[in-house]
Amino acid sequence: MKNSFYRCLSGGTLLCVLLTVSSSVFAQMNAREILEKVEDAQRTTTDSAFNRIQLSSCQFGVRDSQITCAERPRVKALESVGVNFGPQNKDTRSVSVVLEPPAEKGIGMLSVTYDDSDQDNETWLYLSALGTVKRIASGNSDDDSEPASIFGSEFTTEDQDTGKLDEYTLTIVEETTESGRDIWKIESIPNEERARKSRYARTVQYIDKERFVLLRADMYDQHDREVKRLIASRVELIDDVWVARSLTMMNLVSNRLSNMAILEIHTGIDVPEDFLSQRTLTDVAFRETELQKLREQID
Amino acid sequence: MCPLGLLQAQDIPGDIDDFDFDNVSFGDDMFAQPQSNTPAWLEPFTFKLSQQLFAQVNQHAVTRADGSSGNRSAILENNRFSLLTRYQSPFAPGWLLQASAQAKVYWPGDYEYRANDDRIDTEFRLNEFFVQRSTTEHSLKIGAQTVVWGENIGNSVLDVINTSEFRDLTIIDIEDARLNQWLLVWDRFVGNYQMSSFVNLYPEFNPPPVRGSPFFFEPAFNLTDYHRDKALFEIGTQLRWSFAGSDVSIMGAYLYENQLFYSAPPSGAGDALSEANDYLLLGVSANRAIGMLLLNLDVAYSHDILANVLVMPTNPNEAPYLATETMNKLGATLGFEYAIDNDQSIMFGIAAEGKLSPGSHLASNAVMLEDEVTGNALLRYSNNMRNGDVQLAMTLQSALDAGSVLGSVSLNYTLSNNLAVMGQVIATSAKKDSALAVLDEDLRMGMTLSWTF
Repeated sequence: MKNSFYRCLSGGTLLCVLLTVSSSVFAQMNAREILEKVEDAQRTTTDSAFNRIQLSSCQFGVRDSQITCAERPRVKALESVGVNFGPQNKDTRSVSVVLEPPAEKGIGMLSVTYDDSDQDNETWLYLSALGTVKRIASGNSDDDSEPASIFGSEFTTEDQDTGKLDEYTLTIVEETTESGRDIWKIESIPNEERARKSRYARTVQYIDKERFVLLRADMYDQHDREVKRLIASRVELIDDVWVARSLTMMNLVSNRLSNMAILEIHTGIDVPEDFLSQRTLTDVAFRETELQKLREQID
Repeated sequence: MCPLGLLQAQDIPGDIDDFDFDNVSFGDDMFAQPQSNTPAWLEPFTFKLSQQLFAQVNQHAVTRADGSSGNRSAILENNRFSLLTRYQSPFAPGWLLQASAQAKVYWPGDYEYRANDDRIDTEFRLNEFFVQRSTTEHSLKIGAQTVVWGENIGNSVLDVINTSEFRDLTIIDIEDARLNQWLLVWDRFVGNYQMSSFVNLYPEFNPPPVRGSPFFFEPAFNLTDYHRDKALFEIGTQLRWSFAGSDVSIMGAYLYENQLFYSAPPSGAGDALSEANDYLLLGVSANRAIGMLLLNLDVAYSHDILANVLVMPTNPNEAPYLATETMNKLGATLGFEYAIDNDQSIMFGIAAEGKLSPGSHLASNAVMLEDEVTGNALLRYSNNMRNGDVQLAMTLQSALDAGSVLGSVSLNYTLSNNLAVMGQVIATSAKKDSALAVLDEDLRMGMTLSWTF
């Protein structure tokens, strides 16, 4: 900040003041403020959003100094529509339908997740064999249960969770570069209550300074051993929000990784309230008609 | 890469612990979206090829109903190949065409092969076949389909709309045994409420046991299809709504009992007489989620169901004979599901049905042949392991009086995006006076290999 100020002195005073002020604002942002901005952006990707996601999981190995799958990846393709609602738009209601693999095609899930830990999350599942929509006993992932794996991948509900910053001690460890980008390295240590529910004793997040998007996260267990690493790539500006369209979670203990590729993401669409209902799971004609209307909004 | 997705050990070096993850890069096209070569007309189809082998492996002595004894030998029961085809196409806005069918080939060793005079047998069955038209508030489905009532999975007293066929012990779950029926179903959606009504203009009945199957017994008279001398129909409606933590339904229907009642022909030989009984069903079902616990309740009142009775003629020179009496029945299934953690769950349900004031419906010289209260208990434990690639399921089913007990352990292993293998062990125990006495001390083991694409 000091160097930029002195360099500016040779130019217009007002511009220097503005640049200095703006850089000083960023420099004065604390870890919590930074992560709040990141989470705000993350929440917009689930608000009035229509996504098509591909989850690829495999045992990984090294070939020619590159990480590669040591087996044919297990691929799961999903289509999901969701909206945020409730206080501060922190609750989410979403419908997900499995498109691939063929054995699971058509499985649908309706989820309502609440930010308030006093409210139980609700989940309904539709399997054609059941012949009916079934409410699932799953409880609240914010409670004492362990985070759930997302569709069998290395991603867990904890990795996708937002709004729990009060339960962590957040510190900017360093300002450096990562993959050619200026970043903040922010360390998150859960408090006693959160530590009981979390798999990670410490997390280090690499936040892009310009785009406020997570580029990398290192997750450590209670023995300070790195157990997981998240790497984000293909960061694109979508509907005025920077989004990483490829997230790779590597489990360094089991040598398994999962990649979440966001094939399509559309936010800010008008999702009818009756679409996010049990009917959408069973009534394919209704679901496809409404999805087509959503696609027309995008077009 | 190996097309079956099996691990190639040579690709995981021993020095992966020394790999510098700080400078990681990924292989080209590592997560490339698989290119689909499927022609557009094939996209709505899903195919599943399966080969099943199942055997009764416990050689033991048996005591038959007539008191005689014999031996049950270890024998291959199922050796069959099946192709399940499913078609689902939203061919126009608000329209859907859905169908599924199954073709089977029974190889040497299968009981169907033996029943076919030791010749390879084939079977084709159309399962679903319906057209659906949906608008903002309405949906109309016409064709072969299922209607499932009740919150408890596996033993709901309300799951009586569709007929079922437990042909052999490879099918022990009601969801696999349910048979589609030709129905017109109309759904109306308003907010959190759904009203669903159906009409069945051709009610069908549970098919008799297949010759040669483990459940088969040689009847005294031929069991034939129901002789329809008049038009039959079924009609019903259900109102369902949801609020925080609960789903509630109330329903009513005019139905025919799924099981026909058979009696001896007047001539004493030939085809048995079959009787179809119509009755009224009123029911309510509800669930309540409390944390990781889900409570389920189904209650069913059936008006004018038939019960088997034994009539003692007033003339002592006449032999007692079988007859039926109409009665009312009240049944309930109470169950819970508990999510032990995100991968394990346990489900328990207990169903009981009792005749209401049976004595008031019986003639003075008639006695009930059935227990006044019948029911069963079902316990299931499931565990998803290895990110869902391995699924363990353990089931214990028992009649309420413990007259018959079935235990099953199955392990399903997903080898790749398309290939899965399932192994299963089923043990049965039954008292001599139980309807399943023929399965006492049986132990069955088998596997099914399936390829879905």
